[in-house]
Formats: sequence, structure tokens, C-alpha cells
Amino acid sequence: MAKCDLSIELDDPNRIYSGGDKITGTLHVLADADVKCKGLEVTSGWRTHGRGNVARGSAETATLFVGEWTAGQRESYRFELQIADWPPSYHGSYINIDHYIDARAKIPWAFDPKASAEFMMRPTAGLDPDKLAQATQVSGCVGGAVAIVAFGMALVGIGVVGAMMVANLFFGIVAGLVIVPIVGFFIARKVLPKWLLGEVQAELITPQVAPGGRIQARLAFQPRRRVVLNSISAELNGTEVCVSGSGSNRTTHRNSFFSDHHELEGASTLQAGDRKEFNFEIPLPNDVPYSFDLDDNDLNWTVDLRVDIPRWPDWTKSLKLLVSPDGQGPPPSNGEDQRALEPVAGSTPFAGPPADEITFAETATHLWEVRDDVDQVDLLVQAVTGMTFEIDTFVERRLLYSGDEDPHLYRDGYAVWARHSEPPLPLVLYIPHELGDEFEQAGRGLWRCRGEIVGWDHQHRRLQIKVLVG
Amino acid sequence: MFGEDLHEVRTRGHSNRMTVNSKTRWPGHNLFRNPFGELTRSERAELAVVNTDAILAAICVSPSGGNEARFRPLTAYQLIGECGRGKTTQMLAIAKQFPSASYVYLPEDQPCPAIPVGEPLLIDEAQRLPWRVRRKVFSSSATLVLATHKNLAPALRRSGYTVTTERIGLSLSPSQLAEILNRRLKASRRDPQAACPLVTVDVAADLIRRFGTDVRGIEGYLYDIVQSQVNQHGEMRFID
Repeated sequence: MAKCDLSIELDDPNRIYSGGDKITGTLHVLADADVKCKGLEVTSGWRTHGRGNVARGSAETATLFVGEWTAGQRESYRFELQIADWPPSYHGSYINIDHYIDARAKIPWAFDPKASAEFMMRPTAGLDPDKLAQATQVSGCVGGAVAIVAFGMALVGIGVVGAMMVANLFFGIVAGLVIVPIVGFFIARKVLPKWLLGEVQAELITPQVAPGGRIQARLAFQPRRRVVLNSISAELNGTEVCVSGSGSNRTTHRNSFFSDHHELEGASTLQAGDRKEFNFEIPLPNDVPYSFDLDDNDLNWTVDLRVDIPRWPDWTKSLKLLVSPDGQGPPPSNGEDQRALEPVAGSTPFAGPPADEITFAETATHLWEVRDDVDQVDLLVQAVTGMTFEIDTFVERRLLYSGDEDPHLYRDGYAVWARHSEPPLPLVLYIPHELGDEFEQAGRGLWRCRGEIVGWDHQHRRLQIKVLVG
Repeated sequence: MFGEDLHEVRTRGHSNRMTVNSKTRWPGHNLFRNPFGELTRSERAELAVVNTDAILAAICVSPSGGNEARFRPLTAYQLIGECGRGKTTQMLAIAKQFPSASYVYLPEDQPCPAIPVGEPLLIDEAQRLPWRVRRKVFSSSATLVLATHKNLAPALRRSGYTVTTERIGLSLSPSQLAEILNRRLKASRRDPQAACPLVTVDVAADLIRRFGTDVRGIEGYLYDIVQSQVNQHGEMRFID
């Protein structure tokens, strides 16, 4: 049983906060027994819940108290934390995102009491422009390449089947039963529609749209032959896509929650050479959720185009759309390098003293604060890779096997998992053989070494450090 | 470019709306989340309904939890069973019980991850251990708990190990299933002091008749059931 109870009281629990706002409240503590607390921490952050694997992130952590409480003591601690500016609160069928204030009292040799309080967050800033470039596909000039690839695949398939039939009739027939349908399916989906319609150009003129805005798109083609059409349509679709489990147990779950069908043209007959061009708009309702991509939890918007040809494979194309807030965040003042050194909300500025004056404790603090944000971690690690520090560590355990692909391992050396003294940032230390005795003698106590940062272990979320001799 | 020249669209079909809901979700059922959604590894370990006594009796000299436990070297316990039968849950429960333990999951079609020493060393999907790494692990004399689809006993015995094999997921009682599901429900209560919908033993028996011992399949089914009923008034029905 926990030795104390925690409860969180937000000053304005019903407010919908904007990204980057400050949230204030009071953390109440009731001690059931005399208890020593190594740190009473409050953190602002977010978590997903639902069908997909849990994704999480934090914005700011503050330590409100370190010391002792006596049995029956009641204490209240005020806090003010900056909240994350992304992702938005969201409640769907398969994916939910909630923002929380989490409190935890670190009690030695006992379960840490915890408490959480939810609040709503709606972002105002738009998405990173770099991500925007990846979000949409313009399909105007890919048709020729697709046709060449299809033709090549067909030739290869026929060639393989032919060669196998010559070598062994039975295997040739079996291979033919597998390869021919695959090649046939590809030809039916990609090549046959183009044979009638010619090059089809489709693009989103506005690949990023805010709720309440209008999606502008273009579809154009010039039929090579006379063609009868059932319809030409565009459908705006919103889908939750999440993944549960890992490895061979990974399962993808999809939930289509929005569908808006627009018919651009009904049944008609087009003559060869008659160019058809549609510049059209699709209104986006103002209450739809934003696009997001949180590890195994994605919310995708697409505009799905279809030219419905009777008794013939339809031409289809899916264009990815970014639905994001229309407000623009402040642009970075100093390009990419500035972004690389910019901490997430709540942490102190990183780019202060010259690089050679940064201590490892400062570096570890910044990494600790952004440890749930893969992009931020990568940027920070990139900025400090190659730097050498004096490092205070506690060795946790040696590795039986550190991976064939690990280029940092010394020949005959050791790899151990360790953590920094404060904050307890997880580390991988690569130790040369000659220092083996030294770190063995340290046991589980504090071990000071000199090491160079060489990377980040994404799988185990540990900073990789090559320990240097002398 | 897009003004009066725009082609006017005609709309048919339907459109759904979804928005950020009010702050307190599902107050009628006292739930803050769908209890049958995906959990973090530590939550799974916390909510595990498993009996690890047999495993601990096989691998421990003195099977007390925490730091006092002493493990038998050159001893291995392997859990063999189909997906969704609780192999990983058992492993995580043991990992949570012993701070000295190391849990390693071997992903499919990816390089073998780092394997730290651990007492015991728990390896999930152990049949994927590359031959060279397997030799290294088996020659370490470490106390092993392996979840595997393939019987590794011969290789372990060749390395001097004493092996105990348990085939899991062959049976699941209604009361056991009810406890598994109710722990999830209770852990998702908005107010921990107040009641929430619970699965009865009769409903659990019905679920076993439908899904057999596939707990993961049952949880997937219940996720949709809760999702469809949680915004409605009235008692939640877990089975039609």
C-alpha cells in the first residue's frame, strides 16, 4: 500500500487550453505514515489510448518537494507547467489522445504513489512545413514510369514462367499460377485504365487545409480512345489507422470515420482527344479532427479520385491531405541549426555557452526532457555527437550480446547498460578491455569515466557513449 | 485560378462528423478509457493474472520476490503456446517481480537486439535467436525463462541446462477469464472508489465458448462492444 495519497486539482479544469499555454493547479498530499520523499514531481504530457500501441510525450516536469512527511500530514503544492503544443486532444473510435498532468512521489523501497488529471488541448500552430512536403503526392508525371514498370514486370513474369516451363513443366505451371495473376492484377489496375484514358494528372492545389477551409484539387486527362464513363468522382475520406502488438503479432486496425462523396461528372461518352479538366473544391467541415502521425497511431485524410469505366478496370488515385490548424507558429530565427538546438516546451535554452563548456549533466538534462520525442532526441544527439565529457554513471548491467551491427564496440571490450547520476538518463557504455577491472570494482556504485557521445540506441532509448582510456 | 471557373461539385452520400468531445468521457460508466485497448508493457505486467509459482519453483533456490531471490544457474523454463495465450504476460509479470531480471523481445525479420545479463533472463520469441547468439546465451549458464513456439529443450540440454517445459493456453476457466477482464475494467475506472461495469462468470463462460482460449481475440471483441455502448445510457452488455 502506498504511504501517501496524491490528488491533483486544476485551477480551470474545464478550460480548453491552447498549445504551449501554461496550466496551473495544486497538488495535494496526504501522508498515511512517516515517509521520505526523494522527489515530488509533476509533469505535463499526453498519451494515446485505444486499439493502437501507446504513444506518449511530455512537455515540462517540475519537482515540487524533496524531504519528509509525517503520518497524517496534509500538504498542498502549487504548480505551473507549460503544456505540449502538439498533438491535439482527440477522442475517436480506435485512437484517443488525452493531455494530462501526472504527479508522482518517489518513495524509496515502496511503490510510488501517482495521480493524474486530464485536460483538453487544442493547438493553434500549423504543422512543420517539412512534414507537409511528404504528405501529398502529385501524380502528374508518374503515369509513364508506372506503365514502363508494369510492362517490365509483365515481361519478367512471362520470361520466368517460360524458363521454368522449359526446365520443369510442373514447377512452371505452379509458378505460372502464382505469377500470372499478380502480373495480371497489376496490369488491370494500372495499365488498362491508362490505355483508354491516357496520362491522368491529379493533384491537390492545397495540400494543407484547416478545418472549415476548402480543398482545391485538379484532375485532367485526354482520352486516347473513345470511352464511355459511368462517372468521375472525388471522395474525401478520414481514417484512423493504428497498430497493436509488435513483431509477428503486429496488427493494423483501420476505422473510416468520415466519407464525403462528390460526383464531378455523371455518365458520359468522351471522344478520343477530348481533353477533360476538373478544377474543383471540396469543403472541409469545421469540426473535423486534425491529421496526426504518432508512432503507431495515425489519423489520415485522403482525397480519393475515381474514373468509373463500365466493364473495364477503374482508374483510381489517392491523394494525401494534411488537415492542420491555420495559425502559424513563429519561424525559427536561425535555420536548421537553431531548430536542432531548440528544446521542447519547458526546457531551458540549450544554445547558451560554447559547445566545449557544456557539461554532460546539461546535455543529459536536455535529452531527459525530450526523451519521448524521437525527432528532438535525434536533433540533440546529432548536435552533441563527437563531444567528450566527464560522466558520472551507475552501471546497471552488462550485455551478454550487444548486436552484430554495433560498430562502437571495442574489440574484446564490453558493452554495459548504465544510467547517468542525475537525471537518470539511460546510457550504453562501450568499455575497452583494459578498463574492465576498473568498472567491475565499481559494482553498482558511482563510476566516473571519460567518454565520447557516439549515438542514440532507439530501441532501448539509451545514449551511446564510448568510454575513453585515460 | 480558382474563382468562378471552378467546376461546381455535386454531393451525394453521407458525411460523418467527429469532434473533440466534452472533457469528461463516459461518466455514466465511470470509465476514462476503453479498458480493452492496448496497454503499455508495465500496465500489462501490473494487471497480469498469472500464476508464476510453477516457474519460480523451477528456477529459484528460494522463490521469494524482490532482491532476496536466488536463482538456479543452468536452469531453463520454456513456455510453449500459440499467440494470445499469455506467454508474454507471464514473462512481464516475472520481470516486474524481480528487479534483477531482464526481458528481451526478439522481433521478426530484424537484427537480434542487445541482450543484457539478468537474473532471470527472459527471452520472448526465443525461437528467433540466431544460432550464434543462442550459443552465446546458452553458454552463459544464466537462469532462463523462454517464450517460444519451438521446443528448445534439446539445445538447452546439450548446453548442460535442466529444462522444464510448460505448454500454455490449453485451458482457461470462466472465473480466470472474468478476473483477467475485470482487472482491466477496474484499472480504467475514472473514480477508483466507484463501481464500473464488470464481466460475470457466466458472460466469461459464453466468451470462452465463442473464442476458446484466445484472450487477445476476446479483448479485441470487447473493445468494440464497449466502444459501441459506452455513450449509451443503461447497463453495459458484454455479450449479445
